[in-house]
Amino acid sequence: MYRLESKTVNKLSVMITTPPYNNLSVTALNYVETALKAGVELIGVFFYQDGVMHANTNTQVASDEFQVLSHWQRLHQEYKLPLHLCITAAEKRGISDEQSTQNIHPIFTVSGLGELVELSTTADRMVQF
Amino acid sequence: MTKAAVKTLAILNAKAPYSNTAGKDALDIALIFGSFEQSVSLFFQGDGVCQLISNQDGAIISVKDYLKTFSAFEFYDIENVYACKASLEERSLLASFHIKEVQVLSRKDFADKLTLHHTILRF
Amino acid sequence: MATLHIVRQSAFSSNDFFQCLQIVTDNDVIVFIDDGCYNLQHSLINSIDTNKNIQLKVIEQHANARAIAINEAVFTKVSMGDLVSLTFENSRVITWQ
Repeated sequence: MYRLESKTVNKLSVMITTPPYNNLSVTALNYVETALKAGVELIGVFFYQDGVMHANTNTQVASDEFQVLSHWQRLHQEYKLPLHLCITAAEKRGISDEQSTQNIHPIFTVSGLGELVELSTTADRMVQF
Repeated sequence: MTKAAVKTLAILNAKAPYSNTAGKDALDIALIFGSFEQSVSLFFQGDGVCQLISNQDGAIISVKDYLKTFSAFEFYDIENVYACKASLEERSLLASFHIKEVQVLSRKDFADKLTLHHTILRF
Repeated sequence: MATLHIVRQSAFSSNDFFQCLQIVTDNDVIVFIDDGCYNLQHSLINSIDTNKNIQLKVIEQHANARAIAINEAVFTKVSMGDLVSLTFENSRVITWQ
């Protein structure tokens, strides 16, 4: 397994703009997990545009298909990986934290673009997927 | 790099304004960075240059015209707005823009300006 | 330091790779991933100025999954771990998607 050698420039943040139902998300997950295993300090993942659909608990995925959400759940638990959801982008897509319609998976933190400012200014690199 | 090194954001706009929300989604990021007093520059390449062209009217096709918000850039201290000259020429577009901040740059200058930035997001 | 370009779309269906080549600078690194792997067979590859010392890399798994042959005289095979490493070896990253 690859290990990151430099420890000085090591903070990463990731922005995800692609929806969970296509293979681009598998690539993003793979990148994130590889970075975490390599010891990169991944300060947070920000879900924007169609990326917010990753948080929807109502999504139905056939049991023999790639379960993106369960992988986010695993990474969140194993690495305490912060997963930030842009709530404005989410609400446009029927994903809400209103009590009556709550359909955001609890591993996600309801955030806004201010969080993106924080992630991009704190990280040494921000990568978009 | 020292701890105090300023991290700057470049947003590279690549899509035409009306058929999808990419331009609006990018603008929202630019305005937030502006309001947090973080340095942000806007680059327009490919069909992205269409966001800058004057005399457009999204209202005709029921688009809430986010392009009008571009005129507020000075209030957010967004001064660096760059259009790729080659992209304009490919599309036979004149450098007639609906905001005054736009600088038209050659391919090389556009690339050089873009790579001055620490973070680049493309929409 | 150079820029890492992550190319995710086929130039046969999108203009992204063309735009990437418009701004690619000396010593930059281009990594083809996802459908970007189809660019290995695109004529745009031949338009890259060899004097610029642009490194062309491809995620081997992504090319293999698509039955795309990798000409190792032109492209270096890399893993996802290499892509993570390249993220920090270069000064900035642009994703073309």
